[in-house]
Amino acid sequence: MANFKLLSEYYLSLKEKKEEGKKVVAFMSHDNIPEELIDAAGFIPLRMIFAGNDELMDASHDFLSPSTCAFAQSCIGAFSIKPEKYKFLELIDYFIVSNHCVSDICASEVIAKYFNIKRLNFYVSYTKTENSLKYFKLELLDLKKQLEEIKGTEIDAQVLMDSIKKYNNFKKKLLEISNAIISGSQKLNIFHKAMLYGPNILPELDNIIAEQSQTQISDESKDILLTGCSIFIDDYLNNLIEEGGGNVVFFDTWVGFNYYYQIIDEKVINATKDSMDLLAHRFDNNIYGDHTVPNFLERKVSHIETFYRKHEKKTGKKVGVINHIIKFCDHMSIMSSHLKKKLKEKGIPVLNLERDYSRANRGQLSTRIEAFLEMI
Amino acid sequence: MKKMSIVADELIRFSSVLRMAYNFLDGRNYLKKKKFREKKKLISVGLPFSDLVYGFPDLVPVLPIRMHEFEIHKYLTYLGSASNVFGWNRVTNFLGYIKDLGIKDISQTVDDIIENVITTINSKYNEMYDIGVESGISTDFCYGVKSLYGMNVSKGKNCDANLNYTIRCSTWNKYLESIEAIGNPSKQIWIEIPPRNIGNTLELLIDNINQGISELEKISDFSYSDKALRDHFQTSNQIRQSYKKIIYDISTADFYPCNPATFCEILALLNISFHDYNSNATRYKDNITLLLEEMRGRINKGIGVDVSKKPKILITPMFGGWEPETHDIICELGGRVLYGDWDLLRFLDDIPISNTTDPVEAYAQFLMNANENGIGCDNDKLTDSYVRLAKNLKAEGLVFVQVFGCHSVSNCYTMLKEKIRRELEIPSIALNFNKMGENVEQVRTRLGAFMEMYR
Repeated sequence: MANFKLLSEYYLSLKEKKEEGKKVVAFMSHDNIPEELIDAAGFIPLRMIFAGNDELMDASHDFLSPSTCAFAQSCIGAFSIKPEKYKFLELIDYFIVSNHCVSDICASEVIAKYFNIKRLNFYVSYTKTENSLKYFKLELLDLKKQLEEIKGTEIDAQVLMDSIKKYNNFKKKLLEISNAIISGSQKLNIFHKAMLYGPNILPELDNIIAEQSQTQISDESKDILLTGCSIFIDDYLNNLIEEGGGNVVFFDTWVGFNYYYQIIDEKVINATKDSMDLLAHRFDNNIYGDHTVPNFLERKVSHIETFYRKHEKKTGKKVGVINHIIKFCDHMSIMSSHLKKKLKEKGIPVLNLERDYSRANRGQLSTRIEAFLEMI
Repeated sequence: MKKMSIVADELIRFSSVLRMAYNFLDGRNYLKKKKFREKKKLISVGLPFSDLVYGFPDLVPVLPIRMHEFEIHKYLTYLGSASNVFGWNRVTNFLGYIKDLGIKDISQTVDDIIENVITTINSKYNEMYDIGVESGISTDFCYGVKSLYGMNVSKGKNCDANLNYTIRCSTWNKYLESIEAIGNPSKQIWIEIPPRNIGNTLELLIDNINQGISELEKISDFSYSDKALRDHFQTSNQIRQSYKKIIYDISTADFYPCNPATFCEILALLNISFHDYNSNATRYKDNITLLLEEMRGRINKGIGVDVSKKPKILITPMFGGWEPETHDIICELGGRVLYGDWDLLRFLDDIPISNTTDPVEAYAQFLMNANENGIGCDNDKLTDSYVRLAKNLKAEGLVFVQVFGCHSVSNCYTMLKEKIRRELEIPSIALNFNKMGENVEQVRTRLGAFMEMYR
């Protein structure tokens, strides 16, 4: 019900903005899309951060094979079936085709082509070198140009700089929320709402934190670090973790750390005149994202270990790692056995939890999570 | 077995095919000689990305499966040894002569040799698949990646480096990244092909290739030469030209130099061996040039099979794994099969060496073209490329191989089906594929219904 309320309210809010003449630019959620450019153009960025179900996945099979990532399938299904709760998708004017992964390319392309949504392109380098940074800047300029053509005028440099600062402050606030002592589900709800509405919700966030922090977390709960794929809006996974006696203390995923850790240092902001350089700088510093190669695994292991040790020192509690792998997700799946092996070598318990969005999985997932929590 | 007899009868007259098959299967011995006797370094490659390595006389590119020991039929081993003394032409002519005399045991032996060549490669691929899965790669990945993973687990350590090109397929990129996690000590050399050709992207790619060359230089004791690379590009362009003539001139003709089933086997062998040119591009060029000559020679003499009544069925994509029985079944059902994946993905376009004095720039242009219009493009352009290939081959039907777990080149059938229907008006069918030999009866049933359309 909470999600239905969130999505209904979001629909009304988006509709209102559309009536003001604003364009909506959607993209499958990933951490290298420069939403500040969209915002500075006067448009509304919309991240596809919605979980799927059997119906949505099935509906996508008219377009892509069933062995496509379950999230990508569900994104297509949402446009195909148009469920009432996602009726705001009808308000989308443009869809960005990007290459976070090949499923992102294929699904975004299908959405743009078959659901008559105009397509924008924004592709990201796969490696992190001086040249890939230069390439990223070319893409930024190209996206800026595409947005300016829609807008009919140039994007003002100062407006873009203000937008970068606005999103930067927004991410700082989300970092605060991540550190707050509130339950995993409360954090997740805030992240969902915040990433849906963007920085406009910033004034509300303080109140939300105050309200949420009045609740208690059981001392008996087992602390969990969730890594791998995100838990999207309307997914039951976090409920299963909490019902089993766990509490996610750290969301090391797109919805969570991968988003809010991309804060640009104030000194860099002040010292940089060209806003595009700032966006490129942020891409360069995005070392924990799963898109680029190589070194993803070693960084992930090191990052999780650092959190694990700090958390143990701070709370005296051990953290169990749930590596959430959405079925047919290339990025998370191929490294999962190596990640588990390396973390286990460091004494960190790991559960590789692979699943799609079918309801039939619920019981099995619940059993696996409970068994893992007992083991911690 | 009946079919295999025909295959053997045809193949014996293609000494070039026997050479290629032998060079593929005997790769382990060849590579051992290169590595230990000649002190050359092995560079692991996947997909047809081996060209750059040929700019270094001290480096040898290898598709890792070729480091495995294949069960080579003892007579093929004998042929290989004899060829070292007498030359391949004499040996194969001799065998052909004996076969013509109708000496049964010898004929049967030749059949066995060919059967061995065809099945050995495929069963080794399946073995690599099993090793990959046993080593922890998720079964959700495509056949090609699982097999490559298995190759690297089992033999990757023999290489001094992996040459990794990024493409649009993120599974591919992540698979390359995972090679290090397997525990493979070889150096990982990355060359990014920028996702799109915008702005000065070509310059960036040239620089990326030059950086790759610098990394390879460290391994090769600085043996790189522009001249060696340029010479190689000329060689590899000759390979491409012969390959394209086989695909476009021979396979579209009404008269084949051999049985259609044999022709499929030859195309399949070319497809597999093109990755690294069996580690010796000059030798490969000689063989493929000879193959083309042998085919033309037979056609000119009227030796072969009239295939004018057999519908041309394009099977694609097959480079990432396909059911090899598919072509046998189609041939049994009265059709003939064409394979042209590397052209589809633009790996058979020339490296434009005549346009520029800088071989690196020429290679960058080649890669950029392949990326923009073939292996790395979006599905709209990719499906255009499928249509182009089908159109150029005058295909009368298309069998699309939907590889389980492939999110890239075999994940566009809906879009392709529409284009094929609209632009070519030919029937098409999608066949699911997971592992060789796993689903043959279903393939047979579906193809039976499909081929009914041509009766």
